[in-house]
Amino acid sequence: MDFVFFDRMAKLLSRYQSFFLEGVQNTLIIAFFAVLFGTVLGTLVAVMRMSNVKPLRWVATAYIEFIRGTPLMIQLMFIFYGLPMTGIQIPDIGFIPNFPRFAAGIFAMSLNSCAYVAEIIRSGIQSVDRGQMEAARSLGFKQSQTMKMVILPQAIKNILPALGNEFVTVIKESSIVSVIGIADLMFRTNDVIAITYIQLESLAIAAIIYFILTFSTSRLIAFAERKMANGNK
Amino acid sequence: METNSLIEVRRLVKNFGKLTVLNGIDTEIHKGEVVAVIGPSGSGKSTFLRCMNLLEIPSEGEIVFEGVNICDKKTDINQHRQKIGMVFQQFNLFNNMTVLDNITAAPIKIKKMSKAQAEQLAHELLAKVGLEEKATSYPSQLSGGQKQRVAIVRALAMNPDVMLFDEPTSALDPEMVGEVLEVMRGLAESGMTMVVVTHEMGFAREVADRVIFISDGKIGEDKPSSEFFINPENPRLKDFLSKVL
Repeated sequence: MDFVFFDRMAKLLSRYQSFFLEGVQNTLIIAFFAVLFGTVLGTLVAVMRMSNVKPLRWVATAYIEFIRGTPLMIQLMFIFYGLPMTGIQIPDIGFIPNFPRFAAGIFAMSLNSCAYVAEIIRSGIQSVDRGQMEAARSLGFKQSQTMKMVILPQAIKNILPALGNEFVTVIKESSIVSVIGIADLMFRTNDVIAITYIQLESLAIAAIIYFILTFSTSRLIAFAERKMANGNK
Repeated sequence: METNSLIEVRRLVKNFGKLTVLNGIDTEIHKGEVVAVIGPSGSGKSTFLRCMNLLEIPSEGEIVFEGVNICDKKTDINQHRQKIGMVFQQFNLFNNMTVLDNITAAPIKIKKMSKAQAEQLAHELLAKVGLEEKATSYPSQLSGGQKQRVAIVRALAMNPDVMLFDEPTSALDPEMVGEVLEVMRGLAESGMTMVVVTHEMGFAREVADRVIFISDGKIGEDKPSSEFFINPENPRLKDFLSKVL
């Protein structure tokens, strides 16, 4: 690797700027919605997983184990190619180009992330000492009140760092949606390679952009963590 | 005595899986009485205490609190727990709240007391245990003895009819045991009904009106404290006392 390498990177970046920019934009869209839906659904699955109703618990556990135990690539393929075969078509929406692809990508990423988020939330809640629950219940608080006032405020401190890691993972893993033709950063990087035949330099640019995205995310989470820690102990 | 019994425990059995921890406990706690519960570790004395506010659900038998069988699925246990204060070995103060919030949370949220009223009550109670200046501290900034005194105040703020103590001094450094026992002694003198699971034989002898010895999930001996230590009959109790006294 010599000076020429960086020189080529600079030239690629200036000439194919619009490719990389579009790629980043789509990567961010996919990652943002995957994180959003993943967290909301994950919370729901975590609640099911800790429920007193046994069937709910079984369903949640089976779901988590299955999703975590199979490759995201296969899950994505099943949703994008498999769903339409069962008759479930994602309709085209005129003003959002490529909506079915995006919807399938976000759907698969969310379903995947949701299983991990559920486990993060469950372990965060269960890491709070049992005595906290007992003390609140002994005073006459209901379970839901105890959760809100005592358990969740403490659990959030265990949940947040792990959730931050999950966000970072989602950003990186989202590169997989390029296989179903979503023009994300990975997809557009491959375009640049196809046009220029300059492989490593293009990949290096993509890697740096991914790193900037993930690093700023983890810094942001660390900042939120510190804010929390200042509040109380 | 029958008329002023606050808690009646009838044929109480508690199993954990195949393990029978309590095997038929019958006793009564009377209003204003201080009862010490002693016994070897693993004998079931903590389980016995935790059954009285249903932190452990009895497998069989009844717990009748102020005339109501609280084991009945139809009773709203949250209602009754408000009148049964509990103090834990590990203090269990809410780590995310200040001392003041720890104490006022239940009176405000459950009893719908006004914030000002609850805080005034909290300050009064804190003053009684010598911790007024700790109101704004977090539990992590307190010593074990201070935590336990706050925990007692937190339970008292609900103005309970009975206080359950689950080995309140067992997790304390020796020099802090005294300050907690002092608070409990004061509480006993004020006429509070108390059930205390303890290893402090001195406390059982001096403060308790009655001592219950539990071994192997059964009541081995149940006597006024004046006779209990002088004249133990149960061979297990004799053995136990010879080890701890």
